[in-house]
Amino acid sequence: MLLHLLVLAPFVAAILMVATSKEDPKSSSRLAFLFGVAFFAMSIALVAGGNQATDPMEWFRIPGCKGPVYYYLYSHGLGAWMVFLSCGLSLVALITARNTFEKNYRNFAIGIFSLMGAMNGTFLSADAVLFFFFFEAMVIPAAVMIAGYGGKERKKAAMTFAIYTLVGSAPMMVSLWYLLTVADNSLLLSFAIALQSLPAETQFVILLSFLLAFLVKTPIFPFHGWQAITYAEAPAPLSAILTGAMSKAGVFGFIAWILPIFPLSMTVVNVMLWLGIATAVYGGLLALRATDAKKLLAYSSMGHLGLAVAGVFSLSEAMLPAVLVLLVAHGISAGVLFYLAGVAERVTGTRDITLMGGLAGKNPVFSTLFGFAAVMALAVPGTAGFVGEFTVLLAIWDMGPLPAVVAGFCLILSAAYMLRFVQKVIFGKPAREYTEGKRMTALEGSTFGIMVALLLTFGFHPAFITNSLHLFDEDAIEEMSKLSGQEGEPEQALPASDSLSGQNSEVSESAEEHHPMTEKEIAQLDSTLAEAGFDESERAALIQQMIAADAAQNGEAAQTNAEATENE
Amino acid sequence: MTNLPLWLIPLFPLVGTVLLGAIAVISSGSKKGPAEGIVGFLAVIFPVLAFASVVLLAWGMPTEGLRQTLCNWIDIPLFKVDIGFLFDGLSRIMLLFVTGIGSLIALYSIGYMHGDRGFARFFAYINLFLFSMIVLVLSDSLLLTFLGWEGVGLCSYLLIGFWNKDLSNCKAANKAFIVNRVGDIGFLLGMLCLVTVGGSEILNYDSLSAFIQMLIAGGHVEIVLPLLSLAGLLFFIGCTGKSAQIPLLTWLPDAMAGPTPVSALIHAATMVTSGVYLLARMGNLFSLLPVVLLIITLIGLATAFWAAVAGLFQNDIKKVLAYSTISQLGYMFMAAGVCAFDASIFHVFTHAFFKAALFLGAGAVIHALAGEQDMRKMGGLLRKTPVTACVMIFAFFAIIGFPGFAGFWSKDLILERLYTSGSLGPIFYGVGLLTAVITAIYMSRLIILTFFGSYRGSKESEEHIHEAPASMLLPMVVLSIGAIFAGYFWADSLGITMFKDSLAPVLSTAQSGVAHVHVNPIIFAGLGTLAALLGMFIALKVYGNARVPAAKGSSAPEGFKADWTFFFDTIHKFCGIIPVAVLAWIVDMVVEKILQAAQWMVGAIAEILGDGVATFQVRKVRLQLALSVAGVAILVAVVLLTGGSI
Amino acid sequence: MALEAIYVQVLALILFSIGLIVAIARRNVFFVLMGVEIALNAVNLSFVGFAKTLPADLSVAGQIVPLFSIAIAAAEACVGLAMVILIFRNRESVDADTYSNMKG
Repeated sequence: MLLHLLVLAPFVAAILMVATSKEDPKSSSRLAFLFGVAFFAMSIALVAGGNQATDPMEWFRIPGCKGPVYYYLYSHGLGAWMVFLSCGLSLVALITARNTFEKNYRNFAIGIFSLMGAMNGTFLSADAVLFFFFFEAMVIPAAVMIAGYGGKERKKAAMTFAIYTLVGSAPMMVSLWYLLTVADNSLLLSFAIALQSLPAETQFVILLSFLLAFLVKTPIFPFHGWQAITYAEAPAPLSAILTGAMSKAGVFGFIAWILPIFPLSMTVVNVMLWLGIATAVYGGLLALRATDAKKLLAYSSMGHLGLAVAGVFSLSEAMLPAVLVLLVAHGISAGVLFYLAGVAERVTGTRDITLMGGLAGKNPVFSTLFGFAAVMALAVPGTAGFVGEFTVLLAIWDMGPLPAVVAGFCLILSAAYMLRFVQKVIFGKPAREYTEGKRMTALEGSTFGIMVALLLTFGFHPAFITNSLHLFDEDAIEEMSKLSGQEGEPEQALPASDSLSGQNSEVSESAEEHHPMTEKEIAQLDSTLAEAGFDESERAALIQQMIAADAAQNGEAAQTNAEATENE
Repeated sequence: MTNLPLWLIPLFPLVGTVLLGAIAVISSGSKKGPAEGIVGFLAVIFPVLAFASVVLLAWGMPTEGLRQTLCNWIDIPLFKVDIGFLFDGLSRIMLLFVTGIGSLIALYSIGYMHGDRGFARFFAYINLFLFSMIVLVLSDSLLLTFLGWEGVGLCSYLLIGFWNKDLSNCKAANKAFIVNRVGDIGFLLGMLCLVTVGGSEILNYDSLSAFIQMLIAGGHVEIVLPLLSLAGLLFFIGCTGKSAQIPLLTWLPDAMAGPTPVSALIHAATMVTSGVYLLARMGNLFSLLPVVLLIITLIGLATAFWAAVAGLFQNDIKKVLAYSTISQLGYMFMAAGVCAFDASIFHVFTHAFFKAALFLGAGAVIHALAGEQDMRKMGGLLRKTPVTACVMIFAFFAIIGFPGFAGFWSKDLILERLYTSGSLGPIFYGVGLLTAVITAIYMSRLIILTFFGSYRGSKESEEHIHEAPASMLLPMVVLSIGAIFAGYFWADSLGITMFKDSLAPVLSTAQSGVAHVHVNPIIFAGLGTLAALLGMFIALKVYGNARVPAAKGSSAPEGFKADWTFFFDTIHKFCGIIPVAVLAWIVDMVVEKILQAAQWMVGAIAEILGDGVATFQVRKVRLQLALSVAGVAILVAVVLLTGGSI
Repeated sequence: MALEAIYVQVLALILFSIGLIVAIARRNVFFVLMGVEIALNAVNLSFVGFAKTLPADLSVAGQIVPLFSIAIAAAEACVGLAMVILIFRNRESVDADTYSNMKG
């Protein structure tokens, strides 16, 4: 029920908003606020409620396809947290938009609610077609809102955004249709099975088409062309949602739709890892030179998400919780920074950071919040960003020290551009005379304060996030396999998850074989590993793990292995 | 009183931060600002409470220390870390002087910051700093130490840029944070490296020691030595960032842009020594890594010598002290490099007193001269501010290692350990002794220029010179007493080894590998004294009667002096800043433009095609209709002719 | 004389051709609309004709579909006329050839 409400009720809310007055923002903002709070509360309930699913309902049949398309919602930790982000950021956007748009607040709220519904649908669908439906549906309200409420170049921005993202996912639609003709139905499991029987080339083409859609959405270098202009021209509350929640759909897609389905995804792991890291560096470098406040934040988001994608394709055991924490942290911190940049824009009347300055003296409360939020984005320990980035770095380190060192370089870059940003906006003296716009209200201020406090809370107790993670538990897999007419044996049916944990199981298996560890055996193992092409540090690491495993209880390695499979 | 929970110590300043922060934010709207009495009281009481609880705990601490695990922090597959505290001999000493000196400096700041608009904000930052510093030294795992590590860096950033109206302060703050960040990334990668060696549990200090014991016992050290050396090197990069060693030292002189109490607390007594603390804390690990140790010694040596020479060239009183701090830190690193961790911690301890006293004295001088920092405009202050002068002169004797003062004991100990450290020992010792001579020269120069001779500033300003208020003098006097007597906690020649004994449970295993050659301490003491006297003598000859050139323009050094001083700034510029800037330019102006052009081209092609297709759209509705009818007819014809089966 | 299926169909064809030609050839937009209506009615006639001449069990569809299409034709006529009137107000012309603002 909760799932239905979260996905469908926003659209109902959007329709109900039509009934309110267009001229008078008071009534419409109250109603919107009420709805927003209700959805936010529901999303918290969803996060707290753990994994849940609706009964699969047949939605429609596509002629020429074997099975039906289901209306089937399923919530796992990852999706639930993304829904939390989307609902939470929408609520804050509704609050802060009240002070930004004097008129036509109603239509903005309608747009926000439809966007929220589409995003929730994306993060909760268990059916590929349903997922794709919502994935595309997100673009429309967002583009309309950009065109309606954006800055000077809003038309161009809306067009770029819509065309880029829609074209990016067009190949995915074609391959989805192809997959439907070979798979039993459009659920994850049957896709995974169907892909097994396809020739490698076909699989690869399908994989590429899926990848492209998510690469554009995230966005990852070199498909980031739409991002800067869109985030810069969109109204600040919308930019916050776009980067805080919508762009997560890309990373979410990598985790939930690519890794479990495609056995071939192993072949692109290295490429994707380096693409992610390249994006992180690229975003950082661009942010270093950006003078538009929102563009700077857009590039910074790009950098963080690049790191997240690199983390995803490290395929380490620690990857899932690490990336999730990073995503949540980035969602909140980038969101609050965009809102604050919006307030700064409102107050100073410009987005150009070289024309701002001196806000610390004029608006001390705003500046305090701004400074704090910026510091949170720097991944200072004690904030959720640190937990996320540290654990992601840990995951990346598994692939070798070089990617981790480059990723570490990104952290230095992020410090450089963020501090420059802070200095230009709030420190020094005002760069020019201007008539001051509407200041930050108490409600806005306290909302941003709560977001910052949330970041601190998650920073000191990330278990809130990491504990809720059981992607695809057994119930869901059973349910799916029932629908595809194959009872039981989910382990066999999920090929990619096997290969996912393959690296780890390899390690622990060899640890089991060599149990009574002697020096000689270690030396022997070292040389065999060297022959197998492991470099020095990896070898030493492996041996260390074995010694550790040796010292620990015998069963532990097997146990962690089992857990790994379960988590996938 | 050992039943006091350890988390209480960091909690006090944290509460102070929250309260003062709330006051600062709430009062930010009003014209006048909060009442300084209440704020000052809150600002001092929490550090004092923390100090009191540390004293209580220190009194009844068992030899093996106290360990308390608060709760779990991160728990994901492959990585599990708890928030826990470790109170042992090492953290006891660090905590005692961190909270003690912190309280004193908070008291001093009430007088120094009097009338500043950001009064409450300043103390909120100071309390936050103390919280981070306490967490840094009290934590039982590297990850929690890292929290404090970045926390103190953040506070240092906030406090250097405290007067943020002036953009040069902000730039100095940014520089401090970014350079520190480079080091922090080293620390972070070092942790990752350790995790790959032995899993996340060896981030805990106790487990790390146990792990290393196990490695030694099992003879597996050689296997993991490359990885451990890498980790050690990465941690050392972290230390060079925080403790301003070559190559990451350029931020510390710039950091003097902050208020003087901050320079005393953060950039002299506590934060910058956290690098030394980390080396000592991980002494077990570092003692396994001869290559890294050698690097540490060499870096320490080079830093000490370079900074001492740079200190000779400065005209700004705080810059002299900043370079002197770098130089003294170099001594501590040298000691750590030869596995004399206890000696380096001892020097940290004594240095905290005399350098804090020097900085507070300099602060009092600056306060008296209404913000003047250029020594060329000072002089003859001995008669005008006698208490400050006495404090600074005592601390001066301590830093040059005059017999009987604190620095004498700790510096001689370090030099002695250097000498006995092995085949290269005498060379290290020689450079160390030379540096001691230079130290004596530049410190004497500072004292002579500031307190002796005649006043060289303008006449009007001379009348306003006044002694600092009592709340500022009291901490200075207490610190100067510390500068005199702190050395007597470990006076080998007098047979007092209290300091050493209290550190022994923590550091003895790390230092057990060092061969202790017995040498006659009297010779070392004599040579050290000689160095101090020689330096003083030279300074007296050169600066005693010389006419000081009239100050013009900025206080920055010029000519070859500037080349020497800004040597590492130049290196940073050419090896760090310019390449990144060029890379950013290439990315922004070349790669991005190419991508945009590609994008535009795809768009243009689509548009051209669209235009072409659009010409099929004939103008007339009726013709359109006719065409579509014709189309249907053709379709029908095709179907008929082919029989419907293509 | 029995009703031959072919007669009805030929009539329907003639009607449809008239409608089509009117729709294509006339410039007055009202005539175009009328032509479309005639063509629609021709199709209805064809259906009904089949319903009458085919065996009873096959003829049901022939009776039902015209009902739908009559309803649709009514709606179409309404909307079409409304649109034409609106366009006429804007353009002051009933010449279909001047309506070219949909051209890309």
